[in-house]
Amino acid sequence: MSRNSVGTVLNALRQAGRRIGATTRRGLVFTLLFTAAGGMLARAAYLQVVHKDFLQDQGDDRYLRTVEVSAHRGMILDRNGEPLAVSSPVDSIWAYPPELLKQRERWPALATALDITPAELEQKLAGRETRQFVYLRRHLAPSAAQQILQLKIAGVHAQREYRRYYPDAEVASHLLGFTDIDDAGQEGLEKTFDAQLRGIPGSKRVIQDRLGRIVEDVESLRIPQPGQALTLSIDRRLQYLAYRALKTAVLENKASAGAAVIVDARSGEILAMVNQPAGNPNNRSELHGDLLRNRTITDVYEPGSTIKPFPVVLGLESGKWTPSTLVNTAPMQIGRYTVRDTHNYGTIDITHVISKSSNVGVTKIALSMPAERLWQLYRNLGIGAVTGIGLIGEQAGVLRPFSKWAEIGHANHAFGYGFSLTILQLAQAYSVLAADGVRRPLTLLKREQPLGPDDERRVMAASAVRQVRAMMEEVVTKEGTGLKASVPGYRVAGKTGTSRKIVAGHYTNRYFALFAGMAPASAPRLVMAIIIDEPKGGAYYGGTVAAPVFSQTMGSALRILNITPDDMPTMKIAGAVPAIGAKP
Amino acid sequence: MLNAAATTAIPAKHDKLPRAGEGRSTLPFPDPWVLIPALLLLTLGLLMVASASMPTADAKTGQPFYFLFRQGAYVGVGLLAASMVFQVPLARWRRASPLLLLAAFILLTLVLIPGIGKEVNGSMRWINVGPVNVQVSEIAKLFALIYVAGYLKRHGAELQTADFRTSALALFRPMVVLAVLAVLLLLEPDFGSVVVLMAAALGMIFLAGVNLWQFGALQIGTVSAMAVLLWSSPYRRARLISFLDPWADPQASGYQLTQSLIAIGRGELFGVGLGESVQKLFYLPEAYTDFLFAVLAEELGLAGILTVIALFMTLVWRAFLIGQRAERLDLKFSAWLAYGIGLWFGIQALFNMGVNMGALPTKGLTLPLMSYGGSSVVVMCMTLAVLLRIDVETRAGGVHDE
Repeated sequence: MSRNSVGTVLNALRQAGRRIGATTRRGLVFTLLFTAAGGMLARAAYLQVVHKDFLQDQGDDRYLRTVEVSAHRGMILDRNGEPLAVSSPVDSIWAYPPELLKQRERWPALATALDITPAELEQKLAGRETRQFVYLRRHLAPSAAQQILQLKIAGVHAQREYRRYYPDAEVASHLLGFTDIDDAGQEGLEKTFDAQLRGIPGSKRVIQDRLGRIVEDVESLRIPQPGQALTLSIDRRLQYLAYRALKTAVLENKASAGAAVIVDARSGEILAMVNQPAGNPNNRSELHGDLLRNRTITDVYEPGSTIKPFPVVLGLESGKWTPSTLVNTAPMQIGRYTVRDTHNYGTIDITHVISKSSNVGVTKIALSMPAERLWQLYRNLGIGAVTGIGLIGEQAGVLRPFSKWAEIGHANHAFGYGFSLTILQLAQAYSVLAADGVRRPLTLLKREQPLGPDDERRVMAASAVRQVRAMMEEVVTKEGTGLKASVPGYRVAGKTGTSRKIVAGHYTNRYFALFAGMAPASAPRLVMAIIIDEPKGGAYYGGTVAAPVFSQTMGSALRILNITPDDMPTMKIAGAVPAIGAKP
Repeated sequence: MLNAAATTAIPAKHDKLPRAGEGRSTLPFPDPWVLIPALLLLTLGLLMVASASMPTADAKTGQPFYFLFRQGAYVGVGLLAASMVFQVPLARWRRASPLLLLAAFILLTLVLIPGIGKEVNGSMRWINVGPVNVQVSEIAKLFALIYVAGYLKRHGAELQTADFRTSALALFRPMVVLAVLAVLLLLEPDFGSVVVLMAAALGMIFLAGVNLWQFGALQIGTVSAMAVLLWSSPYRRARLISFLDPWADPQASGYQLTQSLIAIGRGELFGVGLGESVQKLFYLPEAYTDFLFAVLAEELGLAGILTVIALFMTLVWRAFLIGQRAERLDLKFSAWLAYGIGLWFGIQALFNMGVNMGALPTKGLTLPLMSYGGSSVVVMCMTLAVLLRIDVETRAGGVHDE
């Protein structure tokens, strides 16, 4: 190409550059804008149709969360359906620290609302700046939580939880135990039956905003399954009566502790189980060892005289002894030991051995038989083995093999030394006496069905037991040691006991005062065993310190349960319809 | 959407219309194809601002409608301003155009002076006037485009001459003015406004019949200048890189864009429903201002996007039609200004969408008529009032301004 032709082409192009008309230019710009608009629409379609799964997954990662839904813990009810432990809804205040940290100026107001000092709030958040979740205050009443939320501090939220509440406070605290702040059973029945009471928490998928607030429930992944209710054999009314009587006795006698159990002799159901001292389980600061110990099952004692009816039953069963057999109760020598009574009662019959609580008398009865017989009876009564009610912490007590007793040991076992049992075990043994020698398993749960023959086991002869019960009624008379256990209108059979406390392996001048008994004695229904630990008010005999607890409790309990009085002199003529076959 | 019958019918009708200046009452009714889409966009904007701002408003002020009420007031002020601007004859704008350019310079300079300008998020974009903050870039863009239209009217013939020196000089002069404006804007910094202003101005110059060779050279120059600007600032470069692959660092530099993309992706065809956006719950920053479009895409889906694009493109189409009519009547100033307004609206709207959808680097540009913000809404309303004034003056036969 020549230089000239290049110039011609350039010139032509230059001309063309100028010549493009207004219409073409307008069309070009307009097309460009519309193409761009079409491009945007295509981009939108790509994002919203083709690329959407990726984008939505990314979104889900950012705001979909799986959160736990608290399950309602099962109630604990007494035998009549009265609530002993209920879970009530509460709100826990929690924070999303990254957001809360941005507004330090609101911390004083928040701390005030939370009822903590600003320093404490500072401490709660210290070192947790990047966490997603920090509790600020657990278990507030929903109205109180609402007030905090109304401060509208970003990053402060509430979570619904359940808190255990015990309507009867300390009355049943040792028995029921308590739950921790996460609603898991820690002690007592709450722990023993945790699997049943505890619900299975559910979970749900939620959308959270970036401040951590749940804005929407997307789906329920697992529905929370509420725990099952637990119906106890306990009768709340009896529990309260027993608690009140025990507390009174412990206070009046300046005792360090006390425990008592009531058992229904016909079913083996435990109707009351009370302790002193006690703490209010609704107040977490009172939840510590000494106030919570269920001494009826965790503490073992030498039963002392309260055990005496059993060797006497053995004696009657053997045929060698009858209630009217006379025995000399003058102090007796066994090896280098002397067995004696508080007074020398002289020669008395077996009934008076019980009513006067003669150590010498029961020793002579026991020694008339092989030691194995006594050991076997104690075993059969459940001494040395846990009762099977399942409460954690239950002690079995100590019952050494008879082969290691020696003669003095044999004697000791007859009047309640050399072995130990819990108050529950003592109540169990007495329930066998009450049931004419039949042992029925104890339970803390209400029996929905009556016990069958397979559940029962005869461990003592009925006739011998009845004779001993008659002797035990003499205890609760002016002649006996347990007059203060008497209940107006009812015949009472029982036995007092006072045992010396062993501290560091040696007997001391401190005592356990015991009483175990049953009423109405004509057809025993309620069995109660009581121990007062270390009465320091002067009196320390079981008949003085423990027997009144029986009287006070039973007086009301028998009436509440509508149990027909069996000791009303006027009854025979007061009835509108004369009793059939009754003779004046 | 295009109504062929209406388009062809208009010139015939116009011949019978009285001339402007014969009395205000005789002016024709403003173009409904501008008026209705504009009002629809304002309404949809209010709706989306209400939805997108509620969580933030509630958290910050305890009053969920805080931003809605304010935006409603801005729209009210905007409409009032528009109705006043509509009364102003084009000739007055034309005559005032050098003064307006001066005003733009002064405003853009004032905003950079600490104490007068107010810094928000690292940018000096606002001047505090009594109870309100005015974003000066918005008003400066309008004034600059009026100046360009006036310049093109005065020197349009020089641009088209065969003489290379004359035409090159005619092109060079406004470019110097625009470059100074661009520098002032970059000092704020407001790179988005620079892009929109330059694109709209260059479009006007192109439409005015500039020599393509010179224009091409200018284009290359502008684009390379912008590329250098982009690359020279580490802040802009980081933004550019993160825009290319926002998922590389979704917690920091890619945070806003990934949140925006997630919002759009959630929308699918018909959206999650008005008020149902999750991304507006503090995940997506600027949800009711620069990223309102993403919330709209989430709540109203592709259908919503199509509607918004269609409304903006209707405005662009009418602006070009109005400009074309003015050009035919040889009302050059009106014509170039109408084109400029169309370009401005189209480019800014598409740019904002492109930013929201990750097709363009993140820049602080509002979605015209829709995003929360008083200055933007008021200036956009005034701008459309100018467009409508051009329309009615043109249809009234034009007031010869030579």
